Amino acid sequence: MISYKLSPHQQQVKDVVHWFAENEMRPLSMEADRLGKVPDDWLNKINQLGIQLNTSSFGDDKNGREKESGKKVKRERQANRLAVIATEELGWGDPAIALTLPGPGLGGPPVQSSGTPEQKQRFLSIFSKDEPPRWGAYALTEPEAGSDVSGIRTTAQKTAGGYILNGQKIFITNGARASWVVVFATIDRSLGRAGHRAFVVEKGTPGFSCTRLAKKMGIRASETAELLLEDCFVPEDNLLGGESYYENRGSSPSGFRVAMKTFDNTRPIVAAMAIGIARAAFEYTRDLVQKEYPKHGRFYHLASEKLACAELEIEAARLLTWEAAWKADIGQPNAQEAAMCKAYSGKIALEVCAGCLELLGPAGLDGQIVEKLYRDAKIFDIFEGTNQVQHLITARHLYEPYGVRV
Amino acid sequence: MISFQPTEEESAFVDLAGGVARERIRPMATECEQERRVHPDLVKTMMDLGFTTLELPHSWGGLEMPLISQTQIWGALSHGDLGVVQGLPGAGDGASLIRLIPEHPALQSYKAAGADGDWPTVAFLQAADGENPGLSGVQAVSNGSGYVLRGISLPFRLAAFADSLLVAVNDPEGETLLLWLDRREDSRWHAVEGDYRLGLLAAGCARVQFEEEVITSDQVIARGSEARELLSQAQARIYVLEAAKEVGLMEAAVSYTAEYTSQRKAFGQEIAKFQGVSFTLADMAIETRTSRNLLWQTAERINDGDSTGKEAAGGMLSRVHRSLRFVTDSAVQLLGGHGYVQEFPVEKWMRDAQAQVSLYGREGELLARRGEQLLGDRVPTGT
Repeated sequence: MISYKLSPHQQQVKDVVHWFAENEMRPLSMEADRLGKVPDDWLNKINQLGIQLNTSSFGDDKNGREKESGKKVKRERQANRLAVIATEELGWGDPAIALTLPGPGLGGPPVQSSGTPEQKQRFLSIFSKDEPPRWGAYALTEPEAGSDVSGIRTTAQKTAGGYILNGQKIFITNGARASWVVVFATIDRSLGRAGHRAFVVEKGTPGFSCTRLAKKMGIRASETAELLLEDCFVPEDNLLGGESYYENRGSSPSGFRVAMKTFDNTRPIVAAMAIGIARAAFEYTRDLVQKEYPKHGRFYHLASEKLACAELEIEAARLLTWEAAWKADIGQPNAQEAAMCKAYSGKIALEVCAGCLELLGPAGLDGQIVEKLYRDAKIFDIFEGTNQVQHLITARHLYEPYGVRV
Repeated sequence: MISFQPTEEESAFVDLAGGVARERIRPMATECEQERRVHPDLVKTMMDLGFTTLELPHSWGGLEMPLISQTQIWGALSHGDLGVVQGLPGAGDGASLIRLIPEHPALQSYKAAGADGDWPTVAFLQAADGENPGLSGVQAVSNGSGYVLRGISLPFRLAAFADSLLVAVNDPEGETLLLWLDRREDSRWHAVEGDYRLGLLAAGCARVQFEEEVITSDQVIARGSEARELLSQAQARIYVLEAAKEVGLMEAAVSYTAEYTSQRKAFGQEIAKFQGVSFTLADMAIETRTSRNLLWQTAERINDGDSTGKEAAGGMLSRVHRSLRFVTDSAVQLLGGHGYVQEFPVEKWMRDAQAQVSLYGREGELLARRGEQLLGDRVPTGT
């Protein structure tokens, strides 16, 4: 049955995460932006509370079955829906802080979806509230290969017991502080996508280093690293999925599929965070207009129309995102929906913030969270695949039934 | 629980409606437009299958379907042709008021007239918004026990075919009145022939002239706050159903354009391979999906009696109007010269779309009203 009502569990997750965003993240937001980092003592405190950025930390029922009254009852998987519901609240709190929350982050989905049981245990079990805060990361982008994933140049040369990696990765969230990074490389560029492999490169591995942290327009409290791999030996055990994963699939584009599958899971989450940003700007501005604008006249009418428009765009983006998450939960292909929600949410987040800044006027420049949200929002139209890439993916799916590859 | 999965019953109805749209409605669309009315054979098919009574209550012999189900069925039918769908006879927009107050005495004459299942055509004249420029052409003046209607209305759908009128109008004191007028021998209202060329030409758009039409007290459905409340409830349902039709047209435009641009070649390749084309198609699809989701959300809320659904309906329709204009315009644009000529359906779809948004509320006005609600009564945006 079609329904957009949150279940009690979904509502509970939303409420809890919103409380956290409002009371733990927001008070820190402007200061973290000024510092260009999230304070370590705050991260330690949060980690001890067991709060992580992990798409399955909000109650995934693992295999869709739970014991109820002593017998197995089939229950609908809802990890992806819970993740987007929770992430919207985190984005509302502060996207840069949200991206800095301890946990496997964007590195989690590829390990979860493609790792061997041993790899999942090894790499995902290190995130514990009883340990110091730890992070995972995801390194795909290179100076010459951003949205074009198939163009990656980082090489992986087979050697005894493992691979030698050489190359450079840029724009890697939490790349410097991460305990491990999922690095995509090619064993042979002439093989194209079929040559791609995903490796888990651990911090401290000889030949693996962070060369620079980027200074950015927004999400300044989030660490964005450049990583260098120089004759970096990575053991076979760190090849995601293991050798057999690739051998069994012959010449199929397995490494590429790992990357793409990751995007299908993470794009709705990124979209949800963008929606949270837009909602934060909208609610702040709405409250201010209610409080400070006269209830008549030109500005009031401008504000009412602009805010109504913003509300609709936020809701529209949210529903597209929920649909992408819902499809993932029920096991249907969701690449088109993931691309659509990412394209739409990234675009409207900036538009909503810009509209709110327009309503605030010059006062919006001075110590107001909306200008920060505006700077933060822009990246959501770029990372995890630019708006144009999302359009390309959407178009490919639309033309697929007609046998045209665009 | 968040879900986008239609029920099995809904899917079955949508399949049926989709077949009718494909095999009956689309092939007859041009003929219906030229004849300026829906072909009687097609009307009979639609009536036999129950599509003209989806909104009517069970006690009236209707299907009394939930709004969320109706949105899907109207969408599937409009995939065939919006102009045909809008020209179907029967209770039309009046059904949404009947749904709310089926036992009201003022409606019983109409109920009796349609007892055999052949429902006379109702046209809904919304002339109760004093702030809306141009709607003040119809006046209701008290004559003691009842009212006298005079003046000429703006054009509205099905007016040319109307056997009955549902009229919302303000009296000179600004009180809202809801009136029901069946056509009688001594009726002093009539449709005025006009010069309609834009779109929805089979939908019977016309003005209605009232020449001192006397309204007796038993024709008054409601007045004052009761009338305003009924009107807002009925209007919210109408907005949802109209948006559903618009989404159906958008979906037709997206699939037609995808197929055309995947086959049409220029500069040695399918034009789909030019990103100016494929990205526009992606935007059309995103706009369409966005509209559908907002529509379904509003329909669900109204079904559940959630007051936020009624409040949000106007804003939702405004957003769907905007998408409809974009999608149908883009379809014509991507077909190029072929999009502009009548051998291809998209030029008609663009005309129909523009006529549709002209008939059902000004986008800016709907949006501004929603904004005033937001600033007046706090409505949470989070779900």
